[in-house]
Amino acid sequence: MSMTATRMLARDWRGGELGVLVMALVLAVGVVSGISAFTTKLQSALVQESHRFLAADTVVSSGRPLPEEWLQRAAKDGLQRALTLSFPSMVYAGDDNMYLASIKAVSETYPLRGELTYGVEPFGETLPASAGPARGEVWLDSRLFSLLDVTLQDKVTIGEHPFLVVAVARTEPDQGASFYGFGPRVLMHYDDIPATGVVQLGSRVEYRQLYAGPEAAVQSFSQWLQPQLQDGQKALSVEEGQPSISSALARAESFLLLAGSLAVVLAGVAVALAARRFSERHHDYVAIIKSLGATSGTVNRLYGSSLLLLGLIATALGCGLGFAIQAVFFELFAEQLPVQPGSSGIRPYAIGAATSITCLFCFAWPPLRRLGKASPLRVLRRDLPLEGSRAISDYVIGLLAVVSLMWWYSGDWKLTLAVLAGLAVTVGLGLGLALTLLKGGRLVGMSAGNIWRLALAGLQRRGMENALQVVIFSMAIMMLLVLLLVRTSLIDEWQTQLPDDAPNHFMLNIGPEDVQPIEELLSVENITSEAFYPMIRSRIMSVNGEELISTEDVQEQKRQRETTLTWSDGLPKDNSLVAGQWWPSGTDQALVSLEESFAERLEIEVGDSVGFLVGSQPLEAQVTSIRALDWQSMRPNFYLVFPPKLLASYPSTFMTSFHLEAADKAFLNRFIRSFPTVTVIEMDAVIEQVRGIINQVSAAINLVLVVILAAGGLVLIAGVQASVDARMHESAILRALGASRRLILGSLLIEFATLGLFAGFLATVAAELSVYILQTLVMDMRYTPTLWIWPLGIFSGAFVIGSLGVFNCRKVVSVAPVTVLREL
Amino acid sequence: MAGTELEILKGITLEIKSGESVAIIGASGSGKSTLLGLLAGLDEASGGSVTINGTDLGTLDEDGRARFRGEHIGFVFQSFQLLPALTALENVMLPLELQGHSDVTQKAEHYLRRVELDARMGHYPLQLSGGEQQRVALARAFASRPAILFADEPTGNLDSRTGDRIIDLVFELNREEGTTLVLVTHDSALADRCDRRLRLDGGALVKE
Repeated sequence: MSMTATRMLARDWRGGELGVLVMALVLAVGVVSGISAFTTKLQSALVQESHRFLAADTVVSSGRPLPEEWLQRAAKDGLQRALTLSFPSMVYAGDDNMYLASIKAVSETYPLRGELTYGVEPFGETLPASAGPARGEVWLDSRLFSLLDVTLQDKVTIGEHPFLVVAVARTEPDQGASFYGFGPRVLMHYDDIPATGVVQLGSRVEYRQLYAGPEAAVQSFSQWLQPQLQDGQKALSVEEGQPSISSALARAESFLLLAGSLAVVLAGVAVALAARRFSERHHDYVAIIKSLGATSGTVNRLYGSSLLLLGLIATALGCGLGFAIQAVFFELFAEQLPVQPGSSGIRPYAIGAATSITCLFCFAWPPLRRLGKASPLRVLRRDLPLEGSRAISDYVIGLLAVVSLMWWYSGDWKLTLAVLAGLAVTVGLGLGLALTLLKGGRLVGMSAGNIWRLALAGLQRRGMENALQVVIFSMAIMMLLVLLLVRTSLIDEWQTQLPDDAPNHFMLNIGPEDVQPIEELLSVENITSEAFYPMIRSRIMSVNGEELISTEDVQEQKRQRETTLTWSDGLPKDNSLVAGQWWPSGTDQALVSLEESFAERLEIEVGDSVGFLVGSQPLEAQVTSIRALDWQSMRPNFYLVFPPKLLASYPSTFMTSFHLEAADKAFLNRFIRSFPTVTVIEMDAVIEQVRGIINQVSAAINLVLVVILAAGGLVLIAGVQASVDARMHESAILRALGASRRLILGSLLIEFATLGLFAGFLATVAAELSVYILQTLVMDMRYTPTLWIWPLGIFSGAFVIGSLGVFNCRKVVSVAPVTVLREL
Repeated sequence: MAGTELEILKGITLEIKSGESVAIIGASGSGKSTLLGLLAGLDEASGGSVTINGTDLGTLDEDGRARFRGEHIGFVFQSFQLLPALTALENVMLPLELQGHSDVTQKAEHYLRRVELDARMGHYPLQLSGGEQQRVALARAFASRPAILFADEPTGNLDSRTGDRIIDLVFELNREEGTTLVLVTHDSALADRCDRRLRLDGGALVKE
């Protein structure tokens, strides 16, 4: 039978009957495997990226020298090793200039991951370095050149040892994002430490051992290392990366998984519709071969093998499409990703193939399986009804398949639930509304005297089919709207977070006397800065009179800790109150507002009193509010805010942030010369990287939207085609009886557009519900109803369905009615 | 009327001998096609029995009847009922393949030559005229050497000259193969060529 099966497939392909089925399958496999491969590779790239922020795959840090044996063990395990030592020390230049710098001594192999960069002029271009300074040489932070009044090839002294200044220290992969304790950097060689004589027992230093190598070796080494760690020695986690990037990518990943899940549902529906039409059209063939002696088993084998063959071809094509999709995505990302992602492996394509098999078995096979039961009597009587073409079990199997596929694919029940809720609303409301509206008063006959009455009569005559069609159309439109809404709000949110003029430089350690001159200087230079926030170092000591534990163990949540206070009369920008009230302006009461995660860690609530030590003076304040912060904004954020009058008498420094164009970087040199004690932190490179990645993520999201639009379009086409035969038949009869082209096309347009209008309305209601659930439960975003989606959903539904309907039925007015009737 | 049972065929007792040719005639709606469907095992009767070559079709399920049709019965239909996906040759090969015959291509070619379609074997149904399509259908019907051939208005869709040629072929092949022929028609002249005529009226056999 295989010859017949392949012939049959070939003929059906030429006849266009398999087009929608194959395309739906290819799209499903392609989108699912492509998105899956992309996210797998993206994740591997992100892990590598996070290793970059450690300059290694794993790192151990301690205030005391770390055991040599660990390095030997790592060498035996085949790992690369590097050492760093960080400590504050005075740097001297000539007789008059000295400055407290943050020294970092690194071994030749540093960094094991990521890139070390240097420059040839302060605040100038950054260049990649293959290794850190050689022995006897140092690289200085841009600021130190003016602070120490040195240039390249001058000498500076650290401790007892002179060093030649050979480069500007620009960036280290593991320099971290902490603003506090930032002294200007000096990089030197690890082996020069003894010669300086500055590192003594009890000095404030941080020793680090860095390891990197193949994943398995690193993992086994880490497992061996963990129990060896003593007090004060800790293994650094890889999560201290870039919150903005990882959050953006996490949301993008949710979006992509959502898109993939919707693609699965859409493709499933398209496959089911196409298979049903295919099966209806094949009833006559089956009747013939059954009259010639084919049993139902033979018929099932024939269609089963056809389907299998089709599945194989579509899966292969779909995997190819998936490969192309992820390749295009990575092409988009190539410049932005600092690391080369590894292979995605076979899993994404296995997921694609599994999707194809599920679609075939759960959506395509049920209607085809019934072909085996087709009556051979149809060879004599074509008017016999088709065998159970609308079995309820098809819908149940399909629904179960959709839910399991979505859940399996996204691994996220909330996401699955959000889509299902939308679908349930569509089906429930759709059937109810459509049936009620279509019921109305029964019109007599065809009502062919008038376009509108003809269209209305058509809608009524096929009431149940139309209701089903409305449901299918609205499901497809709903999913497209959901995706469009989520995409738009994601991209909008990213753009508001990182506007073009987002602050990209920070100034810390501004003395109170420098605040006004700096404000003036910035204003002269036309640089807009954020507000100047005071910073007061303090230590949190007690909650409600109860002393907190005094320990450095980071595992302990309720411990005393160093923290920076600020004051503000009003609620700071980008902050929102989650509990309590903001204080009245100008108050001098002892009140404090806490950031929510800080309050959570210390189990503090509104109304509690918290004790601090500021310098040597105790300070007790009552918590009046808890705030949520936007950590992704590049503005200064504080855990603890007090009323200004309360802190006015404590010694403080100030900080601010401002935006500086790349072309204006020379300003920093002038600024440092005027205000040598102020620390300037350049975040522009990081922000550019975040912005670049977000732009690429947005591009990927838009691309996915186009692919899903195609899947949605297929469902609409399949849905329209499903009802075209009956409409063509009636129209051909009307045409034979002399109906005008205008009457037929006009009434078809009205009929389909009305269905589209209903579908668009239902889809919009359901989409708003799904998006609400998605944004609040899955994506951690704020939900706001979207007004523009209503006219878009409703009128595009009417327009697209109306046009597709007329397009698919156009033949009825262009060829002889008898030809149309013969072909149906 | 909804809920009222319709009795389409009433009290029909009929015996057809091997090798005999019988015409069933009657007006539209007289039950000719229903009778043909039952005799050929395409449909199940709500009462009574149909026995062919000693097999009571009522004792077989649909798959059993399908196998029985494949082994014993051939069909020629008014609307040809060729599979458009298959060429003329492949259409003729189909019943032979379904029954697991050997040398299906040679056998199919033999019958196509017999109906003078040597030059059209590779053509698809849509590329053939009505008469040619019906000749392919004839070749397909005789290729599996059925004991009994059912022909349902075989000339209904053809002009009279082509129709005559097809009927000549049916009778020639019938004689050569020794097949029993049951022909449904409303064409009296055609019915006259058969050994026996049976007239159906309102679902009952009437004497002529």
